[in-house]
Amino acid sequence: MKPATLLALVSFLSAGAQTTNPHSSQADREAGARIFRSHCGSCHGSRGTGGLGPDLTSGTYFHGSSDADLFRNISEGIPGTAMPGVFFEGTQVWQIVAFVRSLSGPGAPSSIPGDASRGERQFRQQGCLGCHLVRGEGGTKGPDLTVIGSQRSAAYLRESILDPNKSVSPEFWVAKIISQGGTSHSGFVMNQDTYAVQILDFSRGLLTLPRTDFKDFGIDRSSIMPAYNGKLSDEEVNDIVKYLLSLKRQTERSQ
Amino acid sequence: MSRILLLALLVGAAPRATAQVTYERLLRADSEPGNWLTYSGSYRSWRYSALDQINRGNAEGLKVAWVHQMPTNHRIEATPIVVDGVMYVTEPPSNVFALDAATGRPYWHYKRSLPSKINVCCDAVNRGVAVLGDRVFLGTVDAHLVALSAKTGAVLWDVPVADSRLGYSVTSAPLIVKDMVITGISGGEYGIRGFLDAYDAATGKRRWRFNTIPGPGEKGHETWGGTDAWKQGGGPTWVTGSYDPELNLIIWGVGNPSPDWNADVRPGDNLYSDSAIALDADTGALKWHFQFVPHDGNDWDAVQVPVLVDGEWQGKARKLIYWAHRGGFYYVLDRSTGEFLLGRPFARQTWAKGLDARGRPERLPNSMPTEEGVYVWPGVQGATNWYSPSYSPLTGYFYLTVWENKGYYLKGEPKYTPGNRYVGSVPDIDVPDDPGFGAIRALNPKTGEKVWEYKTQTKPWSGVLTTAGHVLFGANGGWLSRDREEMEAYFFALDSDTGRELWRINLGGTMAANPITYMASGRQMVTMAAGGAIFTFSLR
Repeated sequence: MKPATLLALVSFLSAGAQTTNPHSSQADREAGARIFRSHCGSCHGSRGTGGLGPDLTSGTYFHGSSDADLFRNISEGIPGTAMPGVFFEGTQVWQIVAFVRSLSGPGAPSSIPGDASRGERQFRQQGCLGCHLVRGEGGTKGPDLTVIGSQRSAAYLRESILDPNKSVSPEFWVAKIISQGGTSHSGFVMNQDTYAVQILDFSRGLLTLPRTDFKDFGIDRSSIMPAYNGKLSDEEVNDIVKYLLSLKRQTERSQ
Repeated sequence: MSRILLLALLVGAAPRATAQVTYERLLRADSEPGNWLTYSGSYRSWRYSALDQINRGNAEGLKVAWVHQMPTNHRIEATPIVVDGVMYVTEPPSNVFALDAATGRPYWHYKRSLPSKINVCCDAVNRGVAVLGDRVFLGTVDAHLVALSAKTGAVLWDVPVADSRLGYSVTSAPLIVKDMVITGISGGEYGIRGFLDAYDAATGKRRWRFNTIPGPGEKGHETWGGTDAWKQGGGPTWVTGSYDPELNLIIWGVGNPSPDWNADVRPGDNLYSDSAIALDADTGALKWHFQFVPHDGNDWDAVQVPVLVDGEWQGKARKLIYWAHRGGFYYVLDRSTGEFLLGRPFARQTWAKGLDARGRPERLPNSMPTEEGVYVWPGVQGATNWYSPSYSPLTGYFYLTVWENKGYYLKGEPKYTPGNRYVGSVPDIDVPDDPGFGAIRALNPKTGEKVWEYKTQTKPWSGVLTTAGHVLFGANGGWLSRDREEMEAYFFALDSDTGRELWRINLGGTMAANPITYMASGRQMVTMAAGGAIFTFSLR
């Protein structure tokens, strides 16, 4: 073992001895918020909603969701990613943990009402798989939901079902293009650069279209998903949310 | 063309044993365009080459000559140095490769062991080495200066420049002046007290230090409002400057005051942050300064490369500096005295009503960060940044990479704790709904007026190079990452007279470096870093 690895392990073990946050008062959260704004906001956004780094408001985190995981990842950084470590004492790191926890609000996934297996049946009945993918089954006109339970909060999922336009990720914005020759294209914007727009054309598949050939070009930022507000009962929505929250990363599922 | 062939023969025939880079060769660096001997190509920092084998008539035939992949996860910001057939290029964080300049095959690789925690604001990067005699000089992110054998990469000396645990690091390429290695320092986001240092190239012993933040009793100290803020006042020097041998002046840019976005704790102009400084090369004594942004709260470092041109100014021969600053104004200064001669916006800016007769900006209200946040043009990365501009004596134009965008400036708590970020909140760098755009622009340096522009969707992080072939090389790549795959990564050649595109290629990775050109095996080569690799192009 390299000395650096050993050192990292020792510091991890000493920090990891504490597994729940000893600094989680309102004052600690506020102190954590101030530190976060100056030290974390440049990548995670000043309100934790993401940017260069991931959205931290879901309550679940890709590299581990326990207090000890958060402490380690903030303190030591995450190898192989752009996440750096910090030079704070333990207290300040715990204060950041307290603030990050507060971003996802009260209500941990386990306290969400609903029945996951009923939710899965409802999900299939409503035809969600026509657009969404779950573990290899389904369509490509919406986000892949295979590990959505590790990525998004219950509140976010509920909002997305009831009012999909509230938050539309840019990869699901729809380009509408008319070429010089009069051909119409409609599809998700996959990428754009100085010279071309790349789309997933809804009828023709993946296309790279040169801007010099555009007669008309616009981007619609609204969602193509129907809103289910008023179409599903509260119970049905709860069940689907519960089901979606059960779609976790393999390592989390096996824990 | 025959001149170039002769040159190529000379370069090709030069025996390796005599490949000593004397100070005299550095003084005349632009007279041997087959090599690239210093960061900006010469002490005047034109990033212009007299090579014309690749020209606007044939640039469309450029092909990849070789690629050198480097095992790094960090962004490559390096300008390579090429000496008599050998390329010395840094691999971030603080490693060096010596490559065969014709094939890209490595001769040696210096790998530095680093502490597990490194304090670098914006990735552990390096912008290149300097060469003198048979030595290669490297600044490191753990704030050391190292001399390596140009033949083997063996360490000849290794001296600490500052304490990296307090946020000091070296990311810039050193500059050789006489028998000295001049190095800047990084750490403006960690509350350092900045400086510019000179070291004896033979021994590594420090000759002088100029503190960019004056202490008690020193001139300029009064611009810190009688507070202790100067102790962590920032003023880093993280981009290689220029040198005027006639005036014996080292001219260098100084970065932001600390904390970046909360200026309340440091009342006053905060000299010499955001300034051009001119130092006596032998003593490090300050001869003059020009401050672009007094009492900065927007992080608009003056870390641009000073472009030194001797020219006529209003009917009189003058030694000039052309300087496009991060805040969005283009300046002409007299480099003997620092006198302000001209200032004019080269991009949209909403923070200054204008510049007064001495070049001092007239600040507009609501242009400093607030608790609630405020939109200001340019954004925090500026209307241009550290990447190199170019001056072509052929066209007489000044070329630069420009960002047209706004930022959202937030003010937060300015609390200093040693070794940690000390920035006083952070602004939103990119406003997703209104990201703006980038451009390569040619300016008339006598007026600051735009001559032409080549617009880019992605705001570029790369500098420009011009050549005697009437070609400008530039790039529109940004920082690619998992969440930013939309950024493009084109390297392109433009007609330097008109901005017309001649050639382009997608290099598919982060681009945040400066192109160079040189000769190898009779061919003109053009080199640019992208992703984790060094790409070199030629006509066949």
